[in-house]
Amino acid sequence: MNSLATVPLFIVALIGLLTWRLSPKSDTRLVVLGAAMAYLANTPVLFWLGWTLTTLPLLKGQAKAPKLVLLASTGLLGAGFLMAAWGPSPWAFGLIAAAALLRKGIFPFHFWIPMAFETADLGVVNLMLNSHLGAFALLRFGVPLAPEVARQAIGFLAVLALFTAVYTALLATVAKRPRRILALLCTSQASFILAGIENRNLEGITGALIHWVVVSLATSSLVLVYQALENRTKEVTEPAGYLGFGYHAPRLAVFFAINMLALVGLPGTLGFAAEDLLFHGSLESHPLLGIGLPLATALNAITGYRLMTKLFLGRRSQATPVIPDALPQERWALVAPALILVAGGLFPNVLVALRAPAAESILSVLGSR
Amino acid sequence: MPMILVGMVAAPGLLLLLMCAHWLTVGGMGENQIRRSMAVVATIGSLLALVLGWGLFEDGEIRSGVMHWIAVGSYHFELELVVDRVSWPLVMLTNVLVALVAAFSIRYMHKERGFFCFFAWITLFWFGALLAFTASSIDLLLGGWELVGVSSVLLIGFFDERLDPVRNANRVFATYRLADLGLLIGIFALHSFAGTGSLDAMGELSGAGATVVALLLLMAASGKSAQGPFLGWLPRAMEGPTPSSALFYGAISVHLGAYLLLRAQPAIEASLLAKVAVISVGLGTALVATLVHRASADAKSSLAYASMAQIGIIFAEIGLGLPTLALLHMTGHAAMRTLQFLRAPSMLYDHHHLRAAAGGSLTPTGTHYEWLLPQRVRAWLYRVAIERGFYDAIVDRWILYPVLKMARWCEGFEPGNTHGAKFEIAPQGVERTQLEEVQG
Repeated sequence: MNSLATVPLFIVALIGLLTWRLSPKSDTRLVVLGAAMAYLANTPVLFWLGWTLTTLPLLKGQAKAPKLVLLASTGLLGAGFLMAAWGPSPWAFGLIAAAALLRKGIFPFHFWIPMAFETADLGVVNLMLNSHLGAFALLRFGVPLAPEVARQAIGFLAVLALFTAVYTALLATVAKRPRRILALLCTSQASFILAGIENRNLEGITGALIHWVVVSLATSSLVLVYQALENRTKEVTEPAGYLGFGYHAPRLAVFFAINMLALVGLPGTLGFAAEDLLFHGSLESHPLLGIGLPLATALNAITGYRLMTKLFLGRRSQATPVIPDALPQERWALVAPALILVAGGLFPNVLVALRAPAAESILSVLGSR
Repeated sequence: MPMILVGMVAAPGLLLLLMCAHWLTVGGMGENQIRRSMAVVATIGSLLALVLGWGLFEDGEIRSGVMHWIAVGSYHFELELVVDRVSWPLVMLTNVLVALVAAFSIRYMHKERGFFCFFAWITLFWFGALLAFTASSIDLLLGGWELVGVSSVLLIGFFDERLDPVRNANRVFATYRLADLGLLIGIFALHSFAGTGSLDAMGELSGAGATVVALLLLMAASGKSAQGPFLGWLPRAMEGPTPSSALFYGAISVHLGAYLLLRAQPAIEASLLAKVAVISVGLGTALVATLVHRASADAKSSLAYASMAQIGIIFAEIGLGLPTLALLHMTGHAAMRTLQFLRAPSMLYDHHHLRAAAGGSLTPTGTHYEWLLPQRVRAWLYRVAIERGFYDAIVDRWILYPVLKMARWCEGFEPGNTHGAKFEIAPQGVERTQLEEVQG
C-alpha cells in the first residue's frame, strides 16, 4: 500500500464506522467500500472503480448539479487513465487534475458541495467528500505521469485552492442554514490541502497531509452532531434565532465546540499543529498562503462560532425544545475523533512521523524549490 | 528550577484535563471538589512562582530547556518556557489573582447552573495566560494568546438565557480573530526578517523589518487590549460574570497586549514610525476612553473604559521607551482594577457606607479642568462620550456592512441558494437588536 494511503484509509474507515453506527444506511457501506478500494488500489482501473462506487449514492440525489459534476469528474478521471495507458503525457495529467478539481469543489466548481449537503443524505455526502479521493488521485496517479508539467500546474491549482478557501469562507459569513454553512466551512478548510502541497518543502507538505486528517475528523464530527440534532428536531434546519439546544444537550454542544475549534486551529488540538506546519512551510515558498490561510481561517472561525451559538446558546426558557443529550452510543462515537484531535494536538510528532514518509515521496516527485 | 517552571505552567493544564475527563465519564465536578482542586493547584502554582522569583535573584532568567514539539525535516517547533524579570511579575500576578478570584467566585457563583463550566473556562484561561507569559518564542505565545481569547469569549456568553451576552460574545470573537491576523502575519514577518520566532530576535530587527513586525504586533496587541481601532469590544465583554470580568478585563487578559508590546519593544525602538504609532494609539485611546468612562451610566462599563484609558497610557510608555515604568504600571493597575471590578456589584452599598461614615453627606470632589473648554465643545464631547465615540456605528457602517454586502453580492452568483438569507445587519443608523426585535 502506498504510504500516502495508510492514514486516510484509517480515517475513512473510522468516520465510516461512526456514521454507520449512528445512522445505518447501505449507501454508507458503499462509500466506505469504494474509498477503501481506491486507497488500496495498485492499478488505475481499481482506483477508478472505487472512485465510481463512492459517487453512486449521490447520483440518486435530487439536485442536478452535483450529479453532473460527479459524472463529469468520473468521466474525466477515466479518460485520463485511458490516455495514461498509452504512455505518460501532460494531457493525461490535465484530465486527472480536472477530475480532482471537480470532485474537491475547487473554484469555480465549489457550488455543488453546498447543494449536495442540502439535498442529499448528509452523512453519505460528508463521507464521500472527506474521503478526499480528488487530492489522492492527483498525487498518487496524476503527478507521476508528468512531473515537469505538474510542478507548473500545481502552482496554479494552489492559487485556485487558496482563492476557494477565502471565497467560500466569505460566502459562509452570510449563509444561514446550518447544512450550507457546514458545506462551505468544509470546502474552505479542505482547500488548504491542495494549497499546502504547493509549498514543496517537507514541513509544508506534511502540514497539508495532517490538515487532511483534521478536516476529515473535525467536519465529520460536526456533521454527526448536526445530524443528531436534526434527528431530534426539524427546527434546526432553518434556525429562526438562537435555539439554545446546549441547555438540554450540553455534551453535544461541547463536542461541536471542540471540533469547530480544532477545525480552525485552536492550540491544544491537531488543527494548531497542522496550521503551524502549513504556515511555516509557506514562509519561503508560497507567501500568498501566509496571508490567505490566516484570513480564511479567521473568517471560518467567526462563522463556525456563530453557528455554534445559533444552535446551542440563547433562549433558556420554556420555548427551548426539550431534546435528549448525546446518547451513550453517540457519546462514544464522538469521543473517538475528539480524542484523536486533542491527543494529536498535545503530541503531534506521532502523526507527523506517520505522514512524513508520504510527504517525502510527494516531495521527491515534485522536487523542492 | 526548569522543572519547577514546567510544573507551574502545566498544573492548570492538568487540572483542566482532569475536569474534562471527570465531566465526560461521571459528569461535572461538585462545588466542593472544584473548590478543593482550585485551592490546591492555585496554592502550588503561587508557591512555585515564588520559588521562581527567588531563583531570578541568582540568575537573570530561568529556562525550561528546549523540547521539539514538532520536528519534521529541518523545521522544529521548539517548546521552551522562560521566566525573566519582565514575565515574572505577570506570572506571579496571574497565579495570585486566579486564586483570589476563584475564592471569591466559589460564593459568587454558588448554585449557578454553569458553576462547573465557569471554573473550567477559568482554568483554561489560567493555563493560556501562563503559557503566553512564559513563552520563549512568538509561536508558543500565540498558543497561550488564543486560549486566553477563547476562554474570554466563552465566559462573555456565559449567561446565555439572555440574547445580548450571546450576540456580544459573537462580536468579541470576531474582533479577536481579526486582530489576531496581526499576530499571525507578524509571526510570518518575524520569521521572514529574523529567520526565527524567538522573542529575543526582536532586538535583531532593523529598518523595514522592525517597522513591519512592530506594526503588525501593535495591531494584535490593540485587539487584545481594546485599543485604537478595536476599542469597542471591552464594554460588550462586561456581559460575563463579574469575577471573570475582573480577572480578564481588569487584570490579565487586557494586559496581554501590553505584554506583547513589551516583548516587541526592541523592534518598536528601532522604528520611528512604529514608535509614533504605538504612542498615538495609546494616547488616542486614553483620551476617548477617559471621556466615555466619565459619562458611562453603569459601573462595569465605566470601569472597562477606565481600564482602556490606563492601558492606553501604558502603550504610550512602551512607545516612549520606558518599559520598566510600563511594567510597574501594568502590575499596579491590574491589582487595583481587579479590586474595583470585584467590588462593582457592591458599589451602592460602599457608597452608602462611606456616606454614613462621613456623617451623612460626602464633600463634592471639586471642579475639573473641563471648565477651561467652551460650552459648545463640552456639549460636543459629552455627546461623543455618551455615544461611546460612535465606535459601533463607524465599524458597522464602514467595515461590517461593506464586507457583508460583498459576501451577499458573491452569493448572488451561487446557483442553488434559492432560500437567500436576509441581511443580519441594518445598513446604517439602526441598531441590530432593534431590527431583530422589529422582525420578531
